Amino acid sequence: MVGPIASLSQLHRSDGSASYKCPATGYSILGAVNGPIELPARRDALKPEEATVEVFVKPGTTTGGVGERYIEGILRSVLGKIVLGREKGFPRRGVVITLAIVGGENVARGDNYLTILPALLHTGLLAMISASVPLSMTFSATLLGVTEDGDIVRDPSPTAAKAAVSLHVFAFSSKNHLLLNESEGRFGFDTWEYVRERALSICQGETTASADGDVAMGEGTASASVSGFIRETVEDQIYSDYAYKLDSI
Amino acid sequence: MSKEAQLSIAERDFILEALCENVRLDGRKPDDYRPLNISFGEEYGHVKLQLGKTNIIVRISAEVTKPREDRPFDGLFNINLELSAMGSPAWENGRTNDIEAYATNILDRIIRHSNALDTESLCILKGVSCWSIRADVHIIDYDGNITDAACIAVMAGLQHFRRPDAVVRDGRVIVYGVEQRVPVPLNITHKPLSVTFQTYNDSKHVIVDATLKEEQAAEGDIVIGMNSAGDVCYLSKYAGAPADAMAIVNKTNVAWEKVKEINAAIEKVLQADLAKRAKIGMADESRAENDRLVQIE
Repeated sequence: MVGPIASLSQLHRSDGSASYKCPATGYSILGAVNGPIELPARRDALKPEEATVEVFVKPGTTTGGVGERYIEGILRSVLGKIVLGREKGFPRRGVVITLAIVGGENVARGDNYLTILPALLHTGLLAMISASVPLSMTFSATLLGVTEDGDIVRDPSPTAAKAAVSLHVFAFSSKNHLLLNESEGRFGFDTWEYVRERALSICQGETTASADGDVAMGEGTASASVSGFIRETVEDQIYSDYAYKLDSI
Repeated sequence: MSKEAQLSIAERDFILEALCENVRLDGRKPDDYRPLNISFGEEYGHVKLQLGKTNIIVRISAEVTKPREDRPFDGLFNINLELSAMGSPAWENGRTNDIEAYATNILDRIIRHSNALDTESLCILKGVSCWSIRADVHIIDYDGNITDAACIAVMAGLQHFRRPDAVVRDGRVIVYGVEQRVPVPLNITHKPLSVTFQTYNDSKHVIVDATLKEEQAAEGDIVIGMNSAGDVCYLSKYAGAPADAMAIVNKTNVAWEKVKEINAAIEKVLQADLAKRAKIGMADESRAENDRLVQIE
Protein backbone atom coordinates (compact mmCIF):
# COMPACT_ATOMS: atom_id res chain seq x y z
CA MET A 1 0.00 0.00 0.00
CA VAL A 2 1.31 3.41 -1.00
CA GLY A 3 1.47 5.78 1.94
CA PRO A 4 0.60 9.47 1.85
CA ILE A 5 3.02 12.18 0.76
CA ALA A 6 3.32 15.44 2.65
CA SER A 7 5.56 18.46 2.81
CA LEU A 8 5.66 21.50 5.05
CA SER A 9 6.07 25.26 4.64
CA GLN A 10 5.68 25.60 0.90
CA LEU A 11 3.83 28.90 0.81
CA HIS A 12 5.40 32.32 1.36
CA ARG A 13 2.58 34.47 2.62
CA SER A 14 0.88 32.35 5.24
CA ASP A 15 2.48 31.70 8.64
CA GLY A 16 2.51 27.97 8.13
CA SER A 17 1.47 25.61 5.38
CA ALA A 18 1.41 21.97 4.44
CA SER A 19 0.52 19.96 1.38
CA TYR A 20 -0.79 16.46 1.72
CA LYS A 21 -1.53 13.84 -0.89
CA CYS A 22 -3.20 10.53 -0.22
CA PRO A 23 -2.65 8.19 -3.18
CA ALA A 24 -5.22 5.63 -1.95
CA THR A 25 -8.16 8.04 -2.02
CA GLY A 26 -6.63 10.38 -4.62
CA TYR A 27 -7.14 13.54 -2.59
CA SER A 28 -4.57 16.27 -2.55
CA ILE A 29 -4.98 19.04 0.02
CA LEU A 30 -3.17 22.29 0.61
CA GLY A 31 -3.42 23.82 4.05
CA ALA A 32 -2.41 27.22 5.35
CA VAL A 33 -2.47 28.55 8.90
CA ASN A 34 -2.34 32.16 10.00
CA GLY A 35 -2.01 32.78 13.68
CA PRO A 36 -2.09 34.43 16.04
CA ILE A 37 -4.03 36.90 13.94
CA GLU A 38 -6.18 39.83 14.98
CA LEU A 39 -9.89 39.15 14.65
CA PRO A 40 -12.62 41.73 14.37
CA ALA A 41 -14.23 42.31 17.76
CA ARG A 42 -17.50 40.57 16.88
CA ARG A 43 -16.01 37.09 16.99
CA ASP A 44 -13.99 36.90 20.19
CA ALA A 45 -16.93 37.58 22.48
CA LEU A 46 -17.56 33.88 23.19
CA LYS A 47 -14.32 32.95 24.90
CA PRO A 48 -12.08 35.96 25.33
CA GLU A 49 -9.59 34.06 27.48
CA GLU A 50 -8.43 31.80 24.67
CA ALA A 51 -7.69 31.79 20.97
CA THR A 52 -10.50 31.34 18.45
CA VAL A 53 -9.82 28.59 15.95
CA GLU A 54 -11.40 29.11 12.57
CA VAL A 55 -11.45 26.46 9.87
CA PHE A 56 -12.29 27.10 6.24
CA VAL A 57 -12.58 24.29 3.71
CA LYS A 58 -12.37 25.35 0.09
CA PRO A 59 -13.55 22.74 -2.40
CA GLY A 60 -11.62 22.40 -5.65
CA THR A 61 -14.29 22.76 -8.30
CA THR A 62 -17.42 24.02 -6.59
CA THR A 63 -18.45 26.75 -4.22
CA GLY A 64 -18.53 25.78 -0.58
CA GLY A 65 -21.88 24.61 0.73
CA VAL A 66 -23.54 22.68 3.53
CA GLY A 67 -21.10 19.76 3.32
CA GLU A 68 -18.13 22.04 3.81
CA ARG A 69 -19.72 23.85 6.75
CA TYR A 70 -20.49 20.50 8.38
CA ILE A 71 -16.95 19.20 8.01
CA GLU A 72 -15.55 22.54 9.19
CA GLY A 73 -17.47 22.03 12.42
CA ILE A 74 -15.88 18.62 12.98
CA LEU A 75 -12.41 19.92 12.12
CA ARG A 76 -12.81 22.93 14.37
CA SER A 77 -13.80 20.79 17.34
CA VAL A 78 -10.79 18.49 16.94
CA LEU A 79 -8.15 21.05 15.98
CA GLY A 80 -9.52 23.66 18.39
CA LYS A 81 -9.17 21.24 21.30
CA ILE A 82 -5.48 20.58 20.72
CA VAL A 83 -4.43 24.23 20.32
CA LEU A 84 -3.06 25.70 23.53
CA GLY A 85 -5.18 28.82 23.18
CA ARG A 86 -4.17 30.32 26.50
CA GLU A 87 -0.47 30.58 25.69
CA LYS A 88 1.02 34.05 25.71
CA GLY A 89 -0.08 36.07 22.71
CA PHE A 90 -3.02 33.84 21.85
CA PRO A 91 -6.01 34.98 23.92
CA ARG A 92 -8.44 37.18 21.94
CA ARG A 93 -6.58 36.23 18.77
CA GLY A 94 -7.53 33.89 15.98
CA VAL A 95 -5.88 30.88 14.43
CA VAL A 96 -7.22 30.71 10.88
CA ILE A 97 -6.86 27.37 9.14
CA THR A 98 -7.58 27.31 5.42
CA LEU A 99 -7.75 23.96 3.66
CA ALA A 100 -8.07 23.87 -0.12
CA ILE A 101 -8.87 20.64 -1.93
CA VAL A 102 -6.55 21.03 -4.89
CA GLY A 103 -6.61 17.56 -6.37
CA GLY A 104 -8.73 14.48 -6.62
CA GLU A 105 -12.41 13.89 -7.15
CA ASN A 106 -14.78 16.46 -5.82
CA VAL A 107 -17.16 15.61 -3.04
CA ALA A 108 -20.50 16.20 -4.70
CA ARG A 109 -23.24 18.05 -2.86
CA GLY A 110 -24.93 15.76 -0.37
CA ASP A 111 -22.20 13.17 -0.69
CA ASN A 112 -20.25 11.67 2.12
CA TYR A 113 -17.54 13.94 3.44
CA LEU A 114 -15.97 11.33 5.70
CA THR A 115 -13.73 10.03 2.91
CA ILE A 116 -11.73 13.24 2.90
CA LEU A 117 -11.78 13.90 6.65
CA PRO A 118 -8.48 12.16 7.62
CA ALA A 119 -6.61 14.00 4.86
CA LEU A 120 -8.07 17.33 6.04
CA LEU A 121 -7.20 16.56 9.67
CA HIS A 122 -3.60 15.67 8.83
CA THR A 123 -3.14 18.72 6.62
CA GLY A 124 -4.53 20.96 9.36
CA LEU A 125 -2.22 19.43 11.95
CA LEU A 126 0.89 19.65 9.78
CA ALA A 127 0.11 23.24 8.80
CA MET A 128 -0.30 24.20 12.46
CA ILE A 129 3.03 22.57 13.29
CA SER A 130 4.57 24.47 10.39
CA ALA A 131 3.12 27.72 11.78
CA SER A 132 4.51 26.90 15.25
CA VAL A 133 1.10 27.11 16.87
CA PRO A 134 1.47 25.66 20.38
CA LEU A 135 -0.28 22.29 20.53
CA SER A 136 -1.05 20.07 23.48
CA MET A 137 -0.63 16.89 21.44
CA THR A 138 -0.44 15.53 17.95
CA PHE A 139 -2.79 12.98 16.51
CA SER A 140 -3.27 10.64 13.59
CA ALA A 141 -6.47 9.70 11.82
CA THR A 142 -7.65 7.02 9.47
CA LEU A 143 -10.62 6.09 7.34
CA LEU A 144 -11.94 2.55 7.31
CA GLY A 145 -14.75 1.10 5.26
CA VAL A 146 -16.63 -2.10 6.01
CA THR A 147 -17.69 -3.99 2.89
CA GLU A 148 -20.76 -6.18 2.52
CA ASP A 149 -18.68 -9.27 3.23
CA GLY A 150 -17.57 -7.75 6.50
CA ASP A 151 -14.04 -7.02 5.31
CA ILE A 152 -12.37 -3.88 6.58
CA VAL A 153 -10.82 -1.74 3.85
CA ARG A 154 -8.27 0.90 4.75
CA ASP A 155 -8.55 4.26 2.93
CA PRO A 156 -11.21 3.18 0.42
CA SER A 157 -11.35 5.08 -2.86
CA PRO A 158 -14.48 7.25 -3.43
CA THR A 159 -16.12 4.46 -5.44
CA ALA A 160 -15.25 1.81 -2.85
CA ALA A 161 -16.54 4.14 -0.14
CA LYS A 162 -19.88 4.41 -1.91
CA ALA A 163 -20.18 0.64 -2.02
CA ALA A 164 -19.21 0.21 1.64
CA VAL A 165 -21.87 -0.66 4.21
CA SER A 166 -20.37 1.61 6.83
CA LEU A 167 -17.58 4.16 6.98
CA HIS A 168 -15.60 5.06 10.07
CA VAL A 169 -13.12 7.83 10.76
CA PHE A 170 -11.03 7.59 13.90
CA ALA A 171 -8.44 9.97 15.27
CA PHE A 172 -6.11 8.99 18.07
CA SER A 173 -3.87 11.26 20.08
CA SER A 174 -0.16 10.58 20.29
CA LYS A 175 -0.93 8.76 23.57
CA ASN A 176 -3.55 6.49 22.03
CA HIS A 177 -6.58 8.33 23.37
CA LEU A 178 -9.58 8.37 21.07
CA LEU A 179 -10.08 11.95 19.88
CA LEU A 180 -12.64 11.61 17.14
CA ASN A 181 -15.15 9.01 16.13
CA GLU A 182 -17.32 9.67 13.12
CA SER A 183 -19.24 6.77 11.67
CA GLU A 184 -21.85 6.42 9.00
CA GLY A 185 -23.92 3.52 7.73
CA ARG A 186 -25.21 0.35 9.37
CA PHE A 187 -22.99 -1.44 11.87
CA GLY A 188 -23.15 -3.16 15.23
CA PHE A 189 -21.15 -2.68 18.40
CA ASP A 190 -18.91 -5.67 17.61
CA THR A 191 -18.05 -4.26 14.20
CA TRP A 192 -17.33 -0.86 15.68
CA GLU A 193 -15.02 -2.30 18.32
CA TYR A 194 -13.27 -4.41 15.72
CA VAL A 195 -12.83 -1.42 13.42
CA ARG A 196 -11.57 0.72 16.30
CA GLU A 197 -8.86 -1.80 17.14
CA ARG A 198 -7.82 -1.96 13.52
CA ALA A 199 -7.76 1.84 13.31
CA LEU A 200 -5.62 2.07 16.42
CA SER A 201 -3.07 -0.33 14.99
CA ILE A 202 -3.01 1.60 11.69
CA CYS A 203 -2.60 4.96 13.44
CA GLN A 204 -0.08 3.99 16.08
CA GLY A 205 1.54 0.84 14.78
CA GLU A 206 2.54 -1.74 17.38
CA THR A 207 2.99 0.48 20.37
CA THR A 208 3.60 -0.22 23.99
CA ALA A 209 2.69 2.34 26.58
CA SER A 210 4.77 2.28 29.72
CA ALA A 211 3.42 3.10 33.18
CA ASP A 212 4.26 6.81 33.08
CA GLY A 213 2.26 7.25 29.87
CA ASP A 214 5.28 7.59 27.62
CA VAL A 215 4.89 5.76 24.36
CA ALA A 216 7.77 3.62 23.22
CA MET A 217 7.54 2.81 19.57
CA GLY A 218 8.78 -0.39 18.04
CA GLU A 219 11.61 0.27 15.62
CA GLY A 220 10.31 -1.24 12.42
CA THR A 221 6.61 -0.54 12.72
CA ALA A 222 6.75 3.09 13.79
CA SER A 223 7.36 4.41 10.30
CA ALA A 224 4.59 2.27 8.83
CA SER A 225 1.98 3.81 11.14
CA VAL A 226 0.24 7.07 10.38
CA SER A 227 1.60 8.80 13.47
CA GLY A 228 5.06 7.64 12.44
CA PHE A 229 4.48 9.23 9.06
CA ILE A 230 3.46 12.56 10.62
CA ARG A 231 6.50 12.45 12.87
CA GLU A 232 8.85 11.67 9.99
CA THR A 233 7.45 14.47 7.84
CA VAL A 234 8.06 16.99 10.60
CA GLU A 235 11.51 15.52 11.34
CA ASP A 236 12.49 15.82 7.67
CA GLN A 237 11.40 19.45 7.63
CA ILE A 238 13.32 20.25 10.81
CA TYR A 239 16.35 18.46 9.41
CA SER A 240 16.36 20.59 6.27
CA ASP A 241 15.52 23.79 8.20
CA TYR A 242 18.49 23.30 10.51
CA ALA A 243 20.86 21.96 7.85
CA TYR A 244 23.15 24.93 8.42
CA LYS A 245 23.60 23.95 12.04
CA LEU A 246 24.29 20.33 11.27
CA ASP A 247 27.00 21.24 8.79
CA SER A 248 28.82 23.39 11.29
CA ILE A 249 29.05 20.71 13.96
CA MET B 1 -6.93 42.28 10.05
CA SER B 2 -8.19 43.09 6.62
CA LYS B 3 -5.48 45.21 5.08
CA GLU B 4 -2.08 44.43 3.61
CA ALA B 5 0.80 45.87 5.59
CA GLN B 6 1.50 49.27 4.11
CA LEU B 7 4.73 50.25 2.47
CA SER B 8 6.96 52.43 4.56
CA ILE B 9 7.78 55.88 3.22
CA ALA B 10 11.42 54.89 2.83
CA GLU B 11 10.50 51.82 0.80
CA ARG B 12 8.17 53.81 -1.42
CA ASP B 13 10.82 56.48 -2.06
CA PHE B 14 13.39 53.80 -2.78
CA ILE B 15 11.19 52.14 -5.39
CA LEU B 16 10.32 55.44 -7.05
CA GLU B 17 13.89 56.73 -7.12
CA ALA B 18 15.23 53.43 -8.37
CA LEU B 19 12.68 53.54 -11.20
CA CYS B 20 14.03 56.96 -12.20
CA GLU B 21 17.33 55.17 -12.84
CA ASN B 22 15.47 52.35 -14.62
CA VAL B 23 16.16 49.85 -11.87
CA ARG B 24 13.54 47.62 -10.29
CA LEU B 25 13.69 45.93 -6.91
CA ASP B 26 14.46 42.51 -8.35
CA GLY B 27 16.72 43.78 -11.13
CA ARG B 28 14.25 43.30 -13.96
CA LYS B 29 13.88 45.67 -16.89
CA PRO B 30 10.58 47.65 -17.01
CA ASP B 31 9.12 45.34 -19.66
CA ASP B 32 10.20 42.03 -18.13
CA TYR B 33 7.93 39.46 -16.55
CA ARG B 34 9.03 37.46 -13.54
CA PRO B 35 9.99 33.85 -14.29
CA LEU B 36 6.83 32.01 -15.35
CA ASN B 37 6.42 28.37 -14.53
CA ILE B 38 3.36 26.41 -15.66
CA SER B 39 2.78 22.75 -14.90
CA PHE B 40 -0.20 20.44 -15.09
CA GLY B 41 -1.63 18.05 -12.53
CA GLU B 42 -2.85 14.53 -13.11
CA GLU B 43 -6.36 15.51 -14.15
CA TYR B 44 -7.19 17.44 -17.29
CA GLY B 45 -7.48 21.15 -16.70
CA HIS B 46 -5.51 21.22 -13.45
CA VAL B 47 -2.94 24.00 -13.82
CA LYS B 48 -0.29 25.05 -11.33
CA LEU B 49 1.20 28.40 -12.18
CA GLN B 50 4.00 30.32 -10.58
CA LEU B 51 4.79 33.86 -11.57
CA GLY B 52 7.67 34.84 -9.35
CA LYS B 53 6.25 34.35 -5.87
CA THR B 54 2.62 34.60 -6.99
CA ASN B 55 1.27 31.09 -6.98
CA ILE B 56 -2.03 30.00 -8.48
CA ILE B 57 -3.90 26.75 -8.99
CA VAL B 58 -6.70 26.59 -11.56
CA ARG B 59 -9.07 23.67 -11.94
CA ILE B 60 -11.46 23.34 -14.83
CA SER B 61 -14.50 21.12 -14.46
CA ALA B 62 -17.47 20.22 -16.61
CA GLU B 63 -20.97 19.01 -15.86
CA VAL B 64 -24.16 18.59 -17.83
CA THR B 65 -26.91 21.08 -17.02
CA LYS B 66 -29.94 22.71 -18.57
CA PRO B 67 -29.16 25.77 -20.73
CA ARG B 68 -30.64 29.14 -19.91
CA GLU B 69 -34.17 29.76 -21.15
CA ASP B 70 -33.22 32.77 -23.28
CA ARG B 71 -30.16 31.10 -24.81
CA PRO B 72 -31.10 27.50 -25.65
CA PHE B 73 -28.13 27.02 -28.01
CA ASP B 74 -25.45 28.15 -25.57
CA GLY B 75 -23.57 26.21 -22.95
CA LEU B 76 -22.47 27.82 -19.70
CA PHE B 77 -19.03 29.05 -18.77
CA ASN B 78 -18.10 30.58 -15.44
CA ILE B 79 -14.90 31.78 -13.89
CA ASN B 80 -14.87 31.57 -10.14
CA LEU B 81 -12.25 33.38 -8.14
CA GLU B 82 -12.46 33.35 -4.37
CA LEU B 83 -9.70 34.77 -2.24
CA SER B 84 -8.94 32.88 0.94
CA ALA B 85 -6.58 33.53 3.84
CA MET B 86 -4.15 31.14 2.15
CA GLY B 87 -3.04 33.71 -0.41
CA SER B 88 -2.50 36.54 2.02
CA PRO B 89 -3.29 36.99 5.74
CA ALA B 90 -5.03 40.23 4.79
CA TRP B 91 -7.81 38.33 3.03
CA GLU B 92 -10.61 37.02 5.18
CA ASN B 93 -12.16 33.67 4.43
CA GLY B 94 -15.66 33.79 3.04
CA ARG B 95 -15.74 37.55 2.54
CA THR B 96 -15.36 39.38 -0.72
CA ASN B 97 -12.95 42.25 -1.02
CA ASP B 98 -12.00 44.80 -3.64
CA ILE B 99 -9.21 42.77 -5.22
CA GLU B 100 -11.53 39.81 -5.69
CA ALA B 101 -14.22 41.88 -7.41
CA TYR B 102 -11.60 43.64 -9.54
CA ALA B 103 -9.82 40.48 -10.66
CA THR B 104 -13.07 38.59 -11.31
CA ASN B 105 -14.34 41.45 -13.42
CA ILE B 106 -11.16 41.57 -15.53
CA LEU B 107 -11.10 37.79 -16.05
CA ASP B 108 -14.77 37.85 -17.02
CA ARG B 109 -14.31 40.66 -19.49
CA ILE B 110 -11.14 39.30 -21.09
CA ILE B 111 -11.90 35.59 -21.29
CA ARG B 112 -15.66 35.22 -21.06
CA HIS B 113 -16.97 38.28 -22.85
CA SER B 114 -14.42 38.06 -25.65
CA ASN B 115 -15.83 34.56 -26.32
CA ALA B 116 -12.47 32.84 -25.96
CA LEU B 117 -14.40 29.67 -25.20
CA ASP B 118 -17.03 29.03 -27.85
CA THR B 119 -20.11 28.45 -25.69
CA GLU B 120 -22.25 27.33 -28.64
CA SER B 121 -20.05 24.27 -29.01
CA LEU B 122 -21.06 23.29 -25.48
CA CYS B 123 -24.67 22.72 -26.48
CA ILE B 124 -25.68 19.04 -26.49
CA LEU B 125 -29.42 19.15 -27.11
CA LYS B 126 -31.14 22.46 -27.80
CA GLY B 127 -32.92 23.83 -24.75
CA VAL B 128 -32.55 20.52 -22.88
CA SER B 129 -28.95 19.91 -21.97
CA CYS B 130 -25.59 21.55 -22.37
CA TRP B 131 -22.15 21.52 -20.78
CA SER B 132 -21.40 23.87 -17.96
CA ILE B 133 -17.69 24.63 -17.82
CA ARG B 134 -16.36 26.05 -14.61
CA ALA B 135 -12.92 27.46 -13.93
CA ASP B 136 -11.94 27.69 -10.28
CA VAL B 137 -9.02 29.97 -9.47
CA HIS B 138 -7.25 29.34 -6.16
CA ILE B 139 -4.70 31.96 -5.23
CA ILE B 140 -2.36 30.24 -2.83
CA ASP B 141 0.42 32.80 -2.67
CA TYR B 142 -0.03 36.48 -3.43
CA ASP B 143 2.82 38.65 -4.54
CA GLY B 144 1.17 41.07 -6.94
CA ASN B 145 -0.30 40.86 -10.43
CA ILE B 146 -2.97 38.20 -9.86
CA THR B 147 -4.91 39.35 -12.92
CA ASP B 148 -2.21 38.37 -15.40
CA ALA B 149 -1.32 35.21 -13.54
CA ALA B 150 -4.96 34.09 -13.25
CA CYS B 151 -5.60 34.92 -16.89
CA ILE B 152 -2.63 32.85 -18.07
CA ALA B 153 -3.61 29.96 -15.79
CA VAL B 154 -7.27 29.94 -16.88
CA MET B 155 -6.36 30.06 -20.57
CA ALA B 156 -3.80 27.27 -20.12
CA GLY B 157 -6.41 25.26 -18.23
CA LEU B 158 -9.06 25.70 -20.92
CA GLN B 159 -6.62 24.50 -23.57
CA HIS B 160 -5.55 21.56 -21.44
CA PHE B 161 -9.02 20.48 -20.34
CA ARG B 162 -10.83 17.57 -21.99
CA ARG B 163 -14.53 17.06 -21.41
CA PRO B 164 -16.21 13.65 -21.65
CA ASP B 165 -17.80 12.85 -24.99
CA ALA B 166 -21.57 13.14 -25.20
CA VAL B 167 -23.90 12.08 -28.01
CA VAL B 168 -27.62 12.29 -28.60
CA ARG B 169 -29.29 9.05 -29.60
CA ASP B 170 -33.08 8.87 -30.10
CA GLY B 171 -33.51 12.10 -28.21
CA ARG B 172 -31.56 10.77 -25.22
CA VAL B 173 -28.24 12.20 -24.14
CA ILE B 174 -25.51 9.65 -23.48
CA VAL B 175 -22.35 10.81 -21.74
CA TYR B 176 -19.43 8.46 -22.19
CA GLY B 177 -16.89 8.02 -19.44
CA VAL B 178 -13.24 8.85 -19.96
CA GLU B 179 -12.47 5.10 -20.18
CA GLN B 180 -15.08 4.49 -22.86
CA ARG B 181 -14.37 7.24 -25.36
CA VAL B 182 -11.50 9.63 -25.91
CA PRO B 183 -12.47 12.90 -24.18
CA VAL B 184 -12.78 15.98 -26.38
CA PRO B 185 -10.87 19.26 -26.08
CA LEU B 186 -12.81 22.51 -25.72
CA ASN B 187 -13.35 24.77 -28.69
CA ILE B 188 -11.10 27.79 -28.14
CA THR B 189 -11.73 30.62 -30.61
CA HIS B 190 -8.79 32.81 -29.66
CA LYS B 191 -6.29 33.11 -26.82
CA PRO B 192 -6.58 36.44 -25.04
CA LEU B 193 -4.30 37.31 -22.14
CA SER B 194 -4.10 40.30 -19.89
CA VAL B 195 -1.02 42.41 -19.43
CA THR B 196 -1.07 44.75 -16.45
CA PHE B 197 1.08 47.87 -16.27
CA GLN B 198 1.70 50.10 -13.28
CA THR B 199 2.51 53.77 -13.71
CA TYR B 200 4.84 55.91 -11.60
CA ASN B 201 6.03 59.51 -11.50
CA ASP B 202 3.22 61.01 -13.64
CA SER B 203 3.33 57.97 -15.95
CA LYS B 204 6.93 58.69 -16.88
CA HIS B 205 7.77 55.19 -15.75
CA VAL B 206 5.52 52.32 -16.71
CA ILE B 207 6.39 48.78 -15.69
CA VAL B 208 4.84 45.41 -16.42
CA ASP B 209 4.12 42.58 -13.93
CA ALA B 210 4.59 44.50 -10.69
CA THR B 211 5.26 42.69 -7.44
CA LEU B 212 3.10 43.46 -4.41
CA LYS B 213 5.50 46.17 -3.20
CA GLU B 214 5.66 47.77 -6.61
CA GLU B 215 1.86 47.66 -6.83
CA GLN B 216 1.57 49.41 -3.50
CA ALA B 217 3.94 52.15 -4.61
CA ALA B 218 2.20 52.68 -7.96
CA GLU B 219 0.01 55.67 -8.72
CA GLY B 220 -2.21 53.89 -11.24
CA ASP B 221 -2.58 50.83 -13.41
CA ILE B 222 -3.45 50.03 -17.00
CA VAL B 223 -4.80 46.61 -17.98
CA ILE B 224 -4.63 45.57 -21.61
CA GLY B 225 -6.33 42.37 -22.77
CA MET B 226 -5.08 41.12 -26.10
CA ASN B 227 -4.75 37.98 -28.20
CA SER B 228 -1.84 36.72 -30.29
CA ALA B 229 -3.28 38.27 -33.44
CA GLY B 230 -2.99 41.70 -31.83
CA ASP B 231 -6.73 42.30 -31.29
CA VAL B 232 -7.28 44.38 -28.18
CA CYS B 233 -10.29 42.90 -26.43
CA TYR B 234 -10.08 44.81 -23.20
CA LEU B 235 -8.48 48.00 -22.03
CA SER B 236 -9.01 49.60 -18.70
CA LYS B 237 -7.63 52.46 -16.75
CA TYR B 238 -9.43 51.55 -13.60
CA ALA B 239 -8.33 53.95 -10.90
CA GLY B 240 -5.47 56.09 -9.73
CA ALA B 241 -3.65 58.94 -11.37
CA PRO B 242 -4.31 59.74 -15.03
CA ALA B 243 -2.03 57.99 -17.51
CA ASP B 244 -0.37 59.57 -20.50
CA ALA B 245 -2.18 58.65 -23.74
CA MET B 246 1.08 57.98 -25.56
CA ALA B 247 2.13 55.60 -22.79
CA ILE B 248 -0.99 53.52 -23.45
CA VAL B 249 -0.32 53.45 -27.20
CA ASN B 250 3.33 52.47 -26.69
CA LYS B 251 2.57 49.89 -24.08
CA THR B 252 -0.03 48.22 -26.30
CA ASN B 253 2.85 47.17 -28.53
CA VAL B 254 4.74 45.85 -25.52
CA ALA B 255 1.63 43.97 -24.45
CA TRP B 256 1.35 42.33 -27.86
CA GLU B 257 4.93 41.08 -27.65
CA LYS B 258 4.28 39.74 -24.16
CA VAL B 259 1.04 38.00 -25.16
CA LYS B 260 2.80 36.29 -28.07
CA GLU B 261 5.67 35.24 -25.80
CA ILE B 262 3.40 33.88 -23.07
CA ASN B 263 1.09 32.10 -25.50
CA ALA B 264 4.15 30.42 -27.00
CA ALA B 265 5.25 29.38 -23.52
CA ILE B 266 1.78 27.92 -22.79
CA GLU B 267 1.81 26.07 -26.11
CA LYS B 268 5.21 24.60 -25.30
CA VAL B 269 4.22 23.16 -21.91
CA LEU B 270 0.89 21.98 -23.34
CA GLN B 271 2.62 20.01 -26.10
CA ALA B 272 5.13 18.58 -23.66
CA ASP B 273 2.32 17.47 -21.36
CA LEU B 274 0.25 15.96 -24.17
CA ALA B 275 3.31 14.08 -25.46
CA LYS B 276 3.89 12.72 -21.96
CA ARG B 277 0.26 11.62 -21.68
CA ALA B 278 0.32 10.00 -25.13
CA LYS B 279 3.35 7.99 -24.08
CA ILE B 280 1.67 6.64 -20.96
CA GLY B 281 -1.55 6.47 -22.94
CA MET B 282 -4.22 4.10 -21.84
CA ALA B 283 -1.64 1.47 -20.86
CA ASP B 284 -3.03 1.15 -17.35
CA GLU B 285 -6.66 1.18 -18.39
CA SER B 286 -6.27 -1.32 -21.23
CA ARG B 287 -4.62 -4.08 -19.25
CA ALA B 288 -6.26 -7.48 -19.73
CA GLU B 289 -6.37 -8.23 -16.02
CA ASN B 290 -8.52 -5.16 -15.28
CA ASP B 291 -12.14 -5.57 -14.27
CA ARG B 292 -14.57 -5.44 -17.16
CA LEU B 293 -16.73 -2.34 -17.27
CA VAL B 294 -20.37 -3.22 -17.70
CA GLN B 295 -21.99 -0.86 -20.16
CA ILE B 296 -25.30 0.46 -18.90
CA GLU B 297 -27.51 1.92 -21.57
